[in-house]
Amino acid sequence: MNPLIELSGVKKVFGSGAAAVHAFGPVDQAIAEGEFVSLLGPSGCGKSTLMLMIAGLLEPSEGRITLAGREVTGPQTDIGIMFQDNTLVPWRTVRGNVELQLEMRGIQPASRKEAVDAILRSVHLEDFAERFPYELSGGMQQRAAFCQAMIHGPQTMLLDEPLGKLDAMTRERIRSDLQSLWMQERPTVIFVTHSIEEAIQLSTRVAVITPRPGTIDTVIPIDLPFPRDFDVKNSPEFVGYVRDTQEIFRGYGVI
Amino acid sequence: MASSETMGVLARLQARLIQSWMFIAFFIGFFLFWEWSIVLFDIPRFILTPPSVIVEKGWADLDRLIYYTYVTGLETVLGYVIAVILALPLGLAIAFSTILRRTLYPFIVCIEMVPKIAFAPLFISWLGFGLLPKVIIVFLVCFFPIVLNAILAFNSLSEELSRFSRSTGAGAIRTFFKIRLPAAMPQCFVGFKYAAINATVGAAIAEFIGSDEGLGFYIQIVTGNMRPDLAFAGIFFLTLLGLALFGCVTLAERLLIPWHISVRRTRS
Repeated sequence: MNPLIELSGVKKVFGSGAAAVHAFGPVDQAIAEGEFVSLLGPSGCGKSTLMLMIAGLLEPSEGRITLAGREVTGPQTDIGIMFQDNTLVPWRTVRGNVELQLEMRGIQPASRKEAVDAILRSVHLEDFAERFPYELSGGMQQRAAFCQAMIHGPQTMLLDEPLGKLDAMTRERIRSDLQSLWMQERPTVIFVTHSIEEAIQLSTRVAVITPRPGTIDTVIPIDLPFPRDFDVKNSPEFVGYVRDTQEIFRGYGVI
Repeated sequence: MASSETMGVLARLQARLIQSWMFIAFFIGFFLFWEWSIVLFDIPRFILTPPSVIVEKGWADLDRLIYYTYVTGLETVLGYVIAVILALPLGLAIAFSTILRRTLYPFIVCIEMVPKIAFAPLFISWLGFGLLPKVIIVFLVCFFPIVLNAILAFNSLSEELSRFSRSTGAGAIRTFFKIRLPAAMPQCFVGFKYAAINATVGAAIAEFIGSDEGLGFYIQIVTGNMRPDLAFAGIFFLTLLGLALFGCVTLAERLLIPWHISVRRTRS
């Protein structure tokens, strides 16, 4: 089977000359359709940089990226991206923010009213559709941001630490929602995180990223049944994956 | 429904009054002190008059004050509106054009350093005592804060929103109207409000320098006639004018960007 996303020799250097910062790579990697791959690493390791390069929002300094067989040379519009800071605009309600994605694509939101209602329902925000972002809790804002990022039905999702700023309990809930969604629809997901547990719970494979310049040294296939609920998380296998991953980061001197 | 709405307004007003009683007391105290200190320190009436006399004499001269408020108001509003109409598109153009940012922008920053009021005598000598030189001076006072804030506003779209826009494949015009313009409004209003505060200053000073009507003219003439009571009445009307303009801009802000943190009220 052909990989959906293919990275070959991808490298990113910011600036030039003596002030140049080698942020990422070089990395070779292939991601198949329907996979859930986490990019796991400490802050500043370049995992967000990699995500932006896949999205075509940042140009690699070297190497090439292909998405569904086509080389990525500019912004990719048929994917869904959730940015590290959410892109909810304060002048629109939750519904208006979801519709913004459609309007930006020249789609009449009235023609997709049912789809908007459905996606808001799927994340339990149907009662908050007419609220403004500042009236929502952090967790609700991230759910709304998810709807905004995915309303156009992308088959590939790039999620940049979507749960990073949430409290542990809210994270837990949204994680399990995300997992059910992935199990139902089977999109290809690239999930940027710095939480070892989160990566292992959600992913089919975890790409461990080294400290800067970030490279992918180890990719750990997670061979655990879905859904990975509390029972799975308490199993010796799960704990084993966590311990092994911690060992790797200890080796890097990160923890 | 209607009665509960009225109740809400009354309750809010009451809460406001309770919150601000210290301020109100201080305000009243200030005027009482003013009133009495003139008697207490035996200040001559041609130097300073008590508030009660200002109200009395100002009331007697109300017709002239109202007409002059209209004259100064017209100069202020014309200058301000023209400044908004010209400064906003120019700010936009500078924000989006590299060439303008390298040529016109540093030029505007340099001109901004010049006190615009200093041009007032020149404009009056060029253009006479009429409406036009005052409008131009108000315009100059208002133009720069609006243009500079507009440049800042249109240049400070967050990285994430700009990436979001690009990821949707939307064109420049759609991105402008759906994202850049609304995102820039709060910072634009900083400029609008600053200009509104300074607009009446420009009009008054222009009238000081050369005019035969308006509140600035009035204040200068009555001061020359040793009538501080009427000068204070003129200052009062000038203040009202400034407040009215600022109030209109604030109202526009509430209507146009009710979502912004400086304006919004949290729903209960």
